[in-house]
Amino acid sequence: MSALHRVYELDTPIIPLHQQPAALIDLALARGVNLDRLLRGTRLFQDQLLEPGRRITPDQFYQLMDNGIRLLDNPDTAFLFGQRILPGHYGAVSEQLRQAHTLHEALECLTTGAALFSPLLAPRLVLDDHYGYLFWVDTCRPGHQRRFLVEAAMTAVYALSRQLFASKLPWECRFSYPQPRHIEQYWLHLGEQIRFDQAMDMMRIPRQYLHHPLTPGSGLTAQMIRQQAQGQLQQLSHIQGFLQHLYLLLETTLKVENPRQERIAAQLGMSTSGLKRLLKKHHTSYQQQLDQVRKLTALQLIQWKQFSNEDVARLLHINDAANFRRCFKRWTGLAPNQLRAQWVK
Amino acid sequence: MKTLLQLHAMKLGALFLLANAALVAFLSAGDFKPLELWSWSDIIGEGGTALLALAWIILVLKSRPAGLVTQLLSLGLGCLFFSWWVDTLDEFIRLPASVQWDHWLESIPMPVGMLLLTLGIFHWHHEQLAINQQMVKREKAFREHRLFDPVTPLGGAEYLKQHLDLALVEARQQRLPLAVVILDIDDFNRINHQHGFQEGDAVLRALTQLLLLNLRTHDLIFRLAGDRFVMLLPNTGEQQATTMAQALKSAVDHFAYHNQQNGERIPLTCCSALVVAKDENSAHLMERLHLALAHAKQPPRLQRA
Repeated sequence: MSALHRVYELDTPIIPLHQQPAALIDLALARGVNLDRLLRGTRLFQDQLLEPGRRITPDQFYQLMDNGIRLLDNPDTAFLFGQRILPGHYGAVSEQLRQAHTLHEALECLTTGAALFSPLLAPRLVLDDHYGYLFWVDTCRPGHQRRFLVEAAMTAVYALSRQLFASKLPWECRFSYPQPRHIEQYWLHLGEQIRFDQAMDMMRIPRQYLHHPLTPGSGLTAQMIRQQAQGQLQQLSHIQGFLQHLYLLLETTLKVENPRQERIAAQLGMSTSGLKRLLKKHHTSYQQQLDQVRKLTALQLIQWKQFSNEDVARLLHINDAANFRRCFKRWTGLAPNQLRAQWVK
Repeated sequence: MKTLLQLHAMKLGALFLLANAALVAFLSAGDFKPLELWSWSDIIGEGGTALLALAWIILVLKSRPAGLVTQLLSLGLGCLFFSWWVDTLDEFIRLPASVQWDHWLESIPMPVGMLLLTLGIFHWHHEQLAINQQMVKREKAFREHRLFDPVTPLGGAEYLKQHLDLALVEARQQRLPLAVVILDIDDFNRINHQHGFQEGDAVLRALTQLLLLNLRTHDLIFRLAGDRFVMLLPNTGEQQATTMAQALKSAVDHFAYHNQQNGERIPLTCCSALVVAKDENSAHLMERLHLALAHAKQPPRLQRA
């Protein structure tokens, strides 16, 4: 199991209870939710809430979230939660977010510290000539409460950059699901440029904002904070969720060859059946995860780099363009050309 | 459940004692019917009704503050329960033909209970009229408590959409203008960050009262989301609506809100926008309203970066 060093699973206790879970609990209590009902099924007890250093598993956090969403029964929950999670109270790492030189540095910090800032949905930052793109990869349980987590994650990034710039930034937000009824929450918390029914959940911002120098955090203090933050991240016992780890491994392998299950299992230091069991524990399968990687890679190549179908097919190790079109339609419900048209619109 | 028992120990205790007394009286005067004489449909029908009456009593006691209406409703329901309870008992216990009191036990509490219940509902009606008077400017023509806002005593976004749909139809039928004003507090996130989210909620509640005071009786106000309030102004043209929006804005700008903890003044300013309804649905109007607000807010620093 040595290859799975510093990787957390659905049942690894890594989420500090007094951070994001506490933010959700506070939010629910402020709205008059009964604490017993909120904690039902989480295997958490009231007297544990104040225990210093207590950590819960992603599974417990999901259960808490399910309860909170059901009991609060208000579409603003995800947005209010998102408002409260960044920069958080993680010591030096939060300080680094607060004092980032540029937005780019803050977003980099967000992705490297994903295990802290975003343990269930890990952000990925990709740059091209014109834009910086953020999208999210499931770490432990694909698709579960996805909309809630995406709403919260985007709200958190939007609010953080607003705090850094002391003004709203022109983020464009795109969502993979149809427009929900509570559109006013999106307007309020994510600004004006919002689109639904897109191929993936992502937000982007023109590059000049990423490198625009922010005033605070110059000199020795800033350097020290950065060093401390780096040290803190290096000492983390876990840095990646299992599915995120697998995603990155598949993505890297895909650049060289078609990733085969046996090879990937060997690289993870386990048997094929061991990998299967682990995937099943995370409510998914090898094929689903591979398709996810190929889908998101294809979307990036088509949308952000304007690659042709032939080129994308070759890069994904799919025989020919026709085959790729079929796969793509299965993943996204759209033909590649429809996606291109939608993207430019 | 414990608090319910504590609060209404007398009422529930009396009901329990009476029900038991009836049971004891039946047992001492009569004897058990053999199983083959039990009429299951009667047992389910009468026993079930008695249980439902008990459930109503508990719901009424749990959901209402004490007072005349609650007293009448629970007494009336108590009588009904008692009558149905006695009715259920004679399904199990046979009384000799000489016994007459069981008919009295069964038939007297019923009309008395009905009378008390009717009186209770009559007073409830008046109580509701008084509450409606307090809900003026927040709802009109219909109520849906599931759409109430959890933070302020106003309706939320969904409530607004349903009222807006009604108002649009009404305005079209009567050929009267309908104006919709939106108000957004400047830099509300700063208040949340500096003073905490609880203080932010308190600010919203205070603003609700302030805005309610500044509206006419036939206007309606809702909390759209976060720090955004929307007001429906029926029979109001653009010019008049602009004047009203400015008045609301200056009311907020001059509002001396004091921090709950140390009484420190938190200055508030806001931004407003309005649209006049055309031939459109509520979703389209809300989108126009939102764009008008975005235009009005246009942060000056955005272009600089």
